[in-house]
Amino acid sequence: MASPSPILRQLGCFRSLLKPQPQSLLQTGLNRRALSTVYSAKPTPKPIPENLPEQFIRQLPLHLRPKDPKARRPIPPPPPSAFNKCKDPVGAVADAQLAVLDPTGERRALFDYRRSQRSVKPGDIVRVTFKNGDPFNGVCLSIRLRGLDTSFLLRNQLTKVGVEMAVKVYSPNVESVEIVQRAASRKRRARLFYMRNPKHDMGTVENIVTNYIRQKRMLSGKKRAPVKAKK
Amino acid sequence: MTPRLPGKLAQNSLPSIWGSRHIIRSQAPIRTFGIRSLNPPVNSRYNVGHGLPVLKSTPTAALERKANTLPLRTGAIATKKGMTAMYDTETGKRIPCTVLQLDRVEVVSHKTVQKHGYYAVQLGAGWRRPANLTKSLLGHFTSSGISPKRHVYEFRVKDESGLLAVGKMVNADWFQEGQYIDARSNSKGKGFAGVMKRHGFGGQDRSHGVSLTHRSLGSAGPSQGGGSRVYPGKKMAGNMGNEQNTVQNLKILKVDPENGIVVVNGSVSGPKGCVVRIQDAIKKPWPEDILSSLPSS
Amino acid sequence: MIQLKTMLNCIDNSGAAVVECVNVLKKKRPATVGDRIVVVVQKQRSFGPDTTNNVGIANKVRRGDIRHAVVVRVKKEMQRPDGSIVKFDDNACVLVNKSGDPIGTRMNGVVATELRSRQWSKILSLAPMHV
Repeated sequence: MASPSPILRQLGCFRSLLKPQPQSLLQTGLNRRALSTVYSAKPTPKPIPENLPEQFIRQLPLHLRPKDPKARRPIPPPPPSAFNKCKDPVGAVADAQLAVLDPTGERRALFDYRRSQRSVKPGDIVRVTFKNGDPFNGVCLSIRLRGLDTSFLLRNQLTKVGVEMAVKVYSPNVESVEIVQRAASRKRRARLFYMRNPKHDMGTVENIVTNYIRQKRMLSGKKRAPVKAKK
Repeated sequence: MTPRLPGKLAQNSLPSIWGSRHIIRSQAPIRTFGIRSLNPPVNSRYNVGHGLPVLKSTPTAALERKANTLPLRTGAIATKKGMTAMYDTETGKRIPCTVLQLDRVEVVSHKTVQKHGYYAVQLGAGWRRPANLTKSLLGHFTSSGISPKRHVYEFRVKDESGLLAVGKMVNADWFQEGQYIDARSNSKGKGFAGVMKRHGFGGQDRSHGVSLTHRSLGSAGPSQGGGSRVYPGKKMAGNMGNEQNTVQNLKILKVDPENGIVVVNGSVSGPKGCVVRIQDAIKKPWPEDILSSLPSS
Repeated sequence: MIQLKTMLNCIDNSGAAVVECVNVLKKKRPATVGDRIVVVVQKQRSFGPDTTNNVGIANKVRRGDIRHAVVVRVKKEMQRPDGSIVKFDDNACVLVNKSGDPIGTRMNGVVATELRSRQWSKILSLAPMHV
């Protein structure tokens, strides 16, 4: 064939129809999908087996499930909260302890140096007596106000060796705390740690304390005398 | 799937292909329910039988082993509120203590051997806004008739007698002064920590040719002789803290059921406000009066 | 906090004045009051009038002697059971022999009461004062 006639050339557009269909079913489907939309019947719902065990009911779509009486249970209101009732439990426990250890509030007043006038102040000479009878005397260097853990630091020199003791104010081991001598002038610091330096060290306070004890005994002796006289 | 069109607009398709498809669809099995294994378990023919001892790796044997160390009754979910001290007025001893508070602790549900393989009481504490809960959790709470809980934890118990009824409240008086408990909580998170802080390694020299590795670990293991690999469990840098820690045998110093306060001796892991699970100490004898008060005994 | 190389005052009349700690016994951490340590005598006490009175005591230990000692005062603060804290301005010890009896017959200086709970009542009774 040298050259196709013009009629044949026009018929060439139908050539695709004459082509054999591809063998693969899948390919046919793909081609078809691209070309047109196919009708398929709406799927009918599958039958649900009768007497379906309870644990499988949740797998059904919601509208098919039998109505659960539990489903719309009201949400119970919360019970009263302990957190709201007692906002500061640590404080409550500490307060309960303080009520036992310091029922009169005397010790608190003796060391609350910011509020109480007659309290111990840094620089005072203090004598502490413990339950077992041992006393400890010293200059008060600092007072640490921390509620139940309130403590004060005393410094003294015993046998020419500096000794420091921090005593918990509310400790049941503390029998009594006495102010032996007030500081001569108001100290301009709350913590007198500089008194540890040799330049500022007060040395021993034993002499002052023994004097105080002697005076106290004399005073109490005087007091005792009239009582006896009355009797 | 092919898009569907109303019948009258549909094209006629090749009957041969579509016919075959319809046949396939009609052959599809009716829907079945439940999860089924493809390989159902086959009972072993060996080492099982009436006269034979229970195998050690079975759940039955595990429960038997645990029987002595599982508490008889449930514990409680508490919150760490802080630390303070208590004085023993007789000896004058100062005892540091941790203050825990119980907030609306209620039994949410049970775990049983028959269903779950072990006995446990699921407790909830606090309160959570229902709007912030998933529906499934909300249903879990409301179906047992309690308000939504902020924290939910399980407490294992030895047997059925330890299962406190659902909805019952556990208050501070669940514990007694003088008894011992184990406190379980997450420790304070330290973030990504190096080996010196995390495992107490010595670090390396400041000088003597050491460059840029003063705080790092030395070798991660032997070379060819050791298999040329890093052994599992090698201590390395990583996240430190924020992992569960149990402090055992803490004595209960004080109980205040009105405010839900439980004061225990010593310290408990974690920051203030963390959740602490407390339960009868397993290394101490069970509290006597609790034994008598258990429902079954 | 008494450890290797710590210099302590010796406060008995055994003849030692300053001793150096070379070992802490029965402990993996620094020694405190009541702990037994091994010391080297670094400085002898110059006994003026004492030597004339009691020659034997003055010669009990010499410089360079290795002895056992019990710590009686420490600078590091010690906590008592009731929460109070005690500390001294120096570290001091008393020399003892191998069986635990003090070598000296007298002590000059305050000591800590913790010695009693550590079974050193003998030293405590020798001391002129305790805190």
